[in-house]
Amino acid sequence: MNEKRKMTAKEKNEARWAYAFVAPTILGLIILNFYPAINTLYQSFCKTGDFGKGNIFVGPANYKTAFADPEIWQSLINTIKYAIIEVPLGVVIALVLAVFLNRKLKGTSVFRTIFFLPMVCAPAAVAMVWKWLYNQQFGLFNNLFHSNIAWISDPKIAWISVGVIGVWSIIGYNMVLFISGLQEIPGDYYEAAEIDGATGIRQFFDITVPLLSPTTFFIVQTRVIGALTIFDLMFMVMDKTNNALPKVQSAVYVFYKYSFDQGNKGYGAAIVMILVIFIMLVTAVMQRAEKKFVFYN
Amino acid sequence: MKWKKVCAAALCLAMAGSLAACGGSSGSAANSGSSDGALTINIWDANQQAGIQEICNDWTALGNPKVNVEVIDWDNYWTLLEAGASGGDLPDVFWMHSNYAQIYMDNDILLDLTDYIEKDGVDMSMYYEDIANMFTRSDGKIFALPKDHDTIALLYNKKLFDEAGVEYPTNDWTYEDMYTAAKAITEGTADDTYGYALNTSNDQDGWFNYIYSYGGNIINEDKTDTGIDSAESKAGMEMCRKMLTVATPQSVVAESGTDSLFVSGKVGMITQGSWMINTFYTAENSADYAWAEIPYCDRNGDGKCQKEERQSCYNGLGWAADAATNRPDECASLIEYLCSKDAQLKQAELGITMAGIPGISEEFANAFEGMDVSAFTDIETDGTLYLRPGTRNSGKWQDPMKQAGGFLDAFQNPTDEAAMSTACDNVAKMIRNAIAEDQ
Repeated sequence: MNEKRKMTAKEKNEARWAYAFVAPTILGLIILNFYPAINTLYQSFCKTGDFGKGNIFVGPANYKTAFADPEIWQSLINTIKYAIIEVPLGVVIALVLAVFLNRKLKGTSVFRTIFFLPMVCAPAAVAMVWKWLYNQQFGLFNNLFHSNIAWISDPKIAWISVGVIGVWSIIGYNMVLFISGLQEIPGDYYEAAEIDGATGIRQFFDITVPLLSPTTFFIVQTRVIGALTIFDLMFMVMDKTNNALPKVQSAVYVFYKYSFDQGNKGYGAAIVMILVIFIMLVTAVMQRAEKKFVFYN
Repeated sequence: MKWKKVCAAALCLAMAGSLAACGGSSGSAANSGSSDGALTINIWDANQQAGIQEICNDWTALGNPKVNVEVIDWDNYWTLLEAGASGGDLPDVFWMHSNYAQIYMDNDILLDLTDYIEKDGVDMSMYYEDIANMFTRSDGKIFALPKDHDTIALLYNKKLFDEAGVEYPTNDWTYEDMYTAAKAITEGTADDTYGYALNTSNDQDGWFNYIYSYGGNIINEDKTDTGIDSAESKAGMEMCRKMLTVATPQSVVAESGTDSLFVSGKVGMITQGSWMINTFYTAENSADYAWAEIPYCDRNGDGKCQKEERQSCYNGLGWAADAATNRPDECASLIEYLCSKDAQLKQAELGITMAGIPGISEEFANAFEGMDVSAFTDIETDGTLYLRPGTRNSGKWQDPMKQAGGFLDAFQNPTDEAAMSTACDNVAKMIRNAIAEDQ
């Protein structure tokens, strides 16, 4: 009812300032996010010309090609496989580390820093180092284990090798989020549990895990989206002539290949739109799961 | 209160300042560093950066602006250049390659140099004709001047030949001789050491030359079709397959690269282009390395090498400028200087690359004291040079042909004879599709 009431001068003034303050962000979003997104959607229906000039509208032709292309489906499967490694392992390991590092022990800050370090390294640099650790002929792993494993060239294990890098890179970030979540759980619960004679493990599963579920959900949701849009690891670690590439390349990698290596922007846009729709579906499913599994105080 | 206001004002100023700075710097990037008066050059070969900077400094010393030479590696170079061309943010002067020249010329991305050339009386006939033609559009307009030319030779590691008791390569070697030697080294040295290494990405410096020596071709002369599935081409790739059976496995090559494997002493022989000499000349064990002419195929079986039986791919880069640059006169002047006889002589003397003008080979050979690089120049008289094969948009097929679905499957399983023949057929399809799309 109040909505139709005219604003007072003061309110108007306030509203004006509010708009002024959000304007930079909104403008940034429109110019840098919304406009390109809409343009990408339009391009996905076009046969794009050289250097982005002379787009010809071709309707759903790009989508038809993409749906009939086994490479696209394989890349989606590869992306999901990567997410299946990165997200659960990244969450579980980070949670365990967070529980240990949340105690009052000597040197916790040192360990926290160490685990967080991968997060402040440039992803490209991380990938370069791992690429040489994995190298078949000169790599540290094969030298250490006296093995001759093609860590990143054998299609059967390359996807795992790449997933491990992802887990290693993300643990620190997840851990810091978990620690902040842990500090919000009141100590009384643990005291009460201790008086009742609950073991540490029992406390972990019956107090920590349920009370931490909002944090866990947040991490899972953001990491699933992050993992589904993975690109840099494959791009940096694997050479174009790597035999395992078709079984490892992610959807965004294929998008990059068509859009920028081969200059086929329309087809690339169609691939990325398919990925966006897929991510939307996954997110919708997770939002439903939230109501079921997440425990809010 | 007053203090707070002062602080707030200062912060606002700082923010506005940083915003303006952002705007300023991106603006100047668009016009390529006009703020400090320097011209920006982009190239993809870090080996050549110091030498080219030196030649550019000579140009600056003539009373011209400063020049910054920036290196972007090959894979990212074309991605960035394409993005720059689409968004109007190109470097002032940059290298152009045969793979992409036509598409850039057709879209008027490059500065038209025709009038400058006429006005300044540049003699286009002094350059290698094929290379000059590469940068001339069908309407006769010229968009780049030839920077250099390159040829291919065989590089070998004497230490591994001695270890296996194999005689060094000579200029009379056929591909069969190379196979025998590679086999002996693979068998006569450590398990992880091989006689030969070749990646699918070693095209111009590798398997292209098998095909042409055996009488095949990748793109025919009028660029309307491919001959990669012809009997001759398949015979060449069959020889290549045979070599791969005694070569470093593809998975190792894809991870480490043939050049790294060679300088690590894990490979006895590779073929490489003249633009790479410096890498091996300055390597730790360069005393062990030597060059021989690329092997030939004795097609008529007379035991001698006819000119057409020894084939080396050759190519040349061009110096081009941004059509939208705000200083076209200076860009054209710099390009004319870089491609002048004096600068090309200096380029050869510094050992950067071989000149785009014939007859400067001696100066280039002298640049590498203690290393005989005559194999790169002798081929111009002992063999045939063919221009790097390409179509209007070579990017469409040149990457896929090196990957799964192209030659990678055959390189991965070199013992499978049928796989190589199938790969030739598959790549022929890729090229024909690309040519059809270009029409």
